[in-house]
Amino acid sequence: MTSSPIIAENLVRHFGDVQAVKGINLEIKAGEIFGFLGPNGAGKSTAVRMLTTLLRPTSGTARVAGYDVVKDADMVRRSIGVALQDAAIDPLMTGAELLALQAVLYGIPQSLMKKRSDELLERVGLTAAASRRVSTYSGGMRRRLDLALSLIHQPTVLFLDEPTTGLDPMSRLTLWEEVRRLNKEGTTVMLTTQYLEEADQLADRIAIIDHGKIVREGRPVDLKASVGAPTLIIKTHADQEARAKAVLETFGDLRPGAEGALGVGLRGGAAQVTEVVRKLDESGVHVQHLEINEPSLDDVFAEATGYRLEGSDNAPPAGDNGVEEPDKKKKSRRGRK
Amino acid sequence: MNTATHTSTHTMISEKDLHTTTMRSAGELIKRSLINTRRLPSAFFPTLAMPIFNMVSFSGTFFALTKLPNFPTDRSVNWFMPLGLAMGSAFSGVGLGFSLIRDLENGFYDRLRMSPTSRVSLIVGPVLATWIRVTLVSVVVFIAGFLLGARPTAGLLSYVCSLAAALGISTIGAGWGLGLGYRFQDMRGAAIMQLSIFLTMFMSTAQVPLNVMTGWLHTVARLNPITNIFRLSRSGWVNQTDPGYMSWSNAYGGLLAIGVLSVLSLIFALQSLKNIDN
Amino acid sequence: MTSTTAVLSQTQVTRSPATAVRQTVALAKRSTLELFRQPAIVLPSMIFPLFFAFLGNSSFGRTTSLPGFPKVSSYLQFQLAGTITQGVLFGSVTGAAALATDIENGFFDRLLAAPTSRTGILFGRLAGSVLFGALETAVFIFALLPFGADVSAGIRGIMAMIVSGALISLAVGALMSSVALKTGSSEAVQGTFPLLFILLFFSSAFFPRETMTGVYKTIAGLNPISHLVEGLRALSLEGFTASATARAILVPLAIAIVALFIANRQLRSRLKSH
Repeated sequence: MTSSPIIAENLVRHFGDVQAVKGINLEIKAGEIFGFLGPNGAGKSTAVRMLTTLLRPTSGTARVAGYDVVKDADMVRRSIGVALQDAAIDPLMTGAELLALQAVLYGIPQSLMKKRSDELLERVGLTAAASRRVSTYSGGMRRRLDLALSLIHQPTVLFLDEPTTGLDPMSRLTLWEEVRRLNKEGTTVMLTTQYLEEADQLADRIAIIDHGKIVREGRPVDLKASVGAPTLIIKTHADQEARAKAVLETFGDLRPGAEGALGVGLRGGAAQVTEVVRKLDESGVHVQHLEINEPSLDDVFAEATGYRLEGSDNAPPAGDNGVEEPDKKKKSRRGRK
Repeated sequence: MNTATHTSTHTMISEKDLHTTTMRSAGELIKRSLINTRRLPSAFFPTLAMPIFNMVSFSGTFFALTKLPNFPTDRSVNWFMPLGLAMGSAFSGVGLGFSLIRDLENGFYDRLRMSPTSRVSLIVGPVLATWIRVTLVSVVVFIAGFLLGARPTAGLLSYVCSLAAALGISTIGAGWGLGLGYRFQDMRGAAIMQLSIFLTMFMSTAQVPLNVMTGWLHTVARLNPITNIFRLSRSGWVNQTDPGYMSWSNAYGGLLAIGVLSVLSLIFALQSLKNIDN
Repeated sequence: MTSTTAVLSQTQVTRSPATAVRQTVALAKRSTLELFRQPAIVLPSMIFPLFFAFLGNSSFGRTTSLPGFPKVSSYLQFQLAGTITQGVLFGSVTGAAALATDIENGFFDRLLAAPTSRTGILFGRLAGSVLFGALETAVFIFALLPFGADVSAGIRGIMAMIVSGALISLAVGALMSSVALKTGSSEAVQGTFPLLFILLFFSSAFFPRETMTGVYKTIAGLNPISHLVEGLRALSLEGFTASATARAILVPLAIAIVALFIANRQLRSRLKSH
């Protein structure tokens, strides 16, 4: 491919009064893993739906695999594989039947169908479960089937929308390995996530999206370096917070801390800790808790948006222990992230 | 997931190998539709039971209609079997709208939409599957009708015309149901589907012939194309002396109505599908 | 301590009839408002029957001279009783479904935990249905009257019909409440809807029994709905006679008493086992 596989120019999407995506510019290079990082409601899924021909942009253009997503939607579809946030499967059918249907809908020659399905089933570890109805699959199994369905035609570009949300840690790691493997085989991957670690671990480059706009973009290592100074986090009594803030401000920029903690970027480096503590003590501030964090993506996010992504709702989800999950009924798609 | 032992049989597929055709995709979607019908019998049972129930209850309750002077037929079941058939077919079509809404709500329809197959195949497949279901139901209704005393007055053609009418109605219902499903994408669409089909079907010669009607219904029914379809369906079940008996002029109106309304409703469905990404 | 034991024994003693009545009234208000606030119920139980009445009038206007058809001034006069029965039937099922929903989502248990009169819970729910049924009946009568649905029995007949409609609501509501109490599932109650629909069809709600033949006629004759409808119809057609009033009021009353008995039994057995 001579041009970049994913290009978006001023992509905008409104749902009535809601402006879900407010103008996104992207250029994802061939062979890279690109991460779209942001909280719920930031506009990640809306952006992905526009790039995968499921939603028409209100304005702006996008070219995927060299084709315009609106004018040449069919050509785009032939080149991309998509695994959306909720596994898009039919619970009444078996895994094998769904793969066969997908193969036909993508026009895979009859002679290659069975071989391709078998390969994919083995690749995602569902060979034994293939003849069972999908309603009997666990959440993790459904995701794996969803991934297999997205790969049936060997797409050069793969979109993964929050691929590990709701998965247990083990399943998450195996999926990360699979993504790396696919990427090594030459697939360009665009993934959206709300997990910092996922973006940090997998992505070659990331874009931080907040309230429908991209606020930061670049390689994780570069973004972290730009934040630079380590963060000192302290907790103190509520009535001492004002005094504490005044002291901290003299050492660097204030940074948001999680759950009522105060943070500051230490311009002078971690060595300044003793001085900070001494000054706080002199001001009569009683420090209940103290920690020092080297810059992380969380800091990058906090610096870019003013709040932290890491919070109680961002904790690793409850484990998937192989028990059948009920089908999630989805509300109207209007106004979704 | 199998990361260690990865099979070396790696099929090479490139873009140029992908060859989607409408008929092949439609065929696979027919398969899917029938598989799902078989696996969710609770959804199919009403489709089967309703026409028979209709036939039995109407022909029993309004048995005395046949005593009216110049009533088209002497047999109550002859008159009401086409009604049962029509109601069953209409709701088979609407049932398609229901399963569409199910697919939309659980996200499976995204998969179908993201595939490069033509939008036409996404509609043609399920509609053809509906035809198969309607034919099966019609055969059962014909048998049940015969057992209740229905006797054709034009031989095999009686059955052919009734079946054609049934298929036509189901196509119109399917297009309408799919279109509403794509537009509303939730159960509100389902309620509107049912209501509109029900009202349209009954404001015609569903229950009584035109010359028995009085007042507003007579005006509405005369203009309602469904009346023509009923005429087609009943042309082989009325007395041979009745003006509605099997003839080209009696069949023509129904076939034209089926043709025009089917095309319109399918276009409605296709347009609604194409605009679903708005 | 004597004071606490005195308090305890007070709550254990049967509540005074006055409080029971007050609670019943409060619950009745709730269930009535619930019914009226849901347009999804108004449509099938009021609009549909009216639509079918007008459809029927235009369809079967010429059949009133058929042998076996009772003497009527118009088909609507014949149809009124069937329309009322149809509407009241569907309205009562919804009330019982609401009771099942209460059980499902735990509101029923909350009522039980409070010192609410047990029978009050049941009657409160049924009162809503009864009120709705009476109102529906009135609406149907006055909506169809200007189109030819004369009530020979006059004003007294109309009052008797409203009472009859209320009693039918009570009867059906109590029966459906038994289902609700036994199964605790609103889906099960809604599932009886098609059964009632079928029962309604195999009756004289839409056409006279005298014009039917064979097995169908026999079934219609055995169907209790036929007798409910014919009682109401007698008031429309015959006038305010003793026999008409008796049939219109006594038949649903008898069914209602039996149904209430069954419902009360179900209530007791639910209280015992839960």
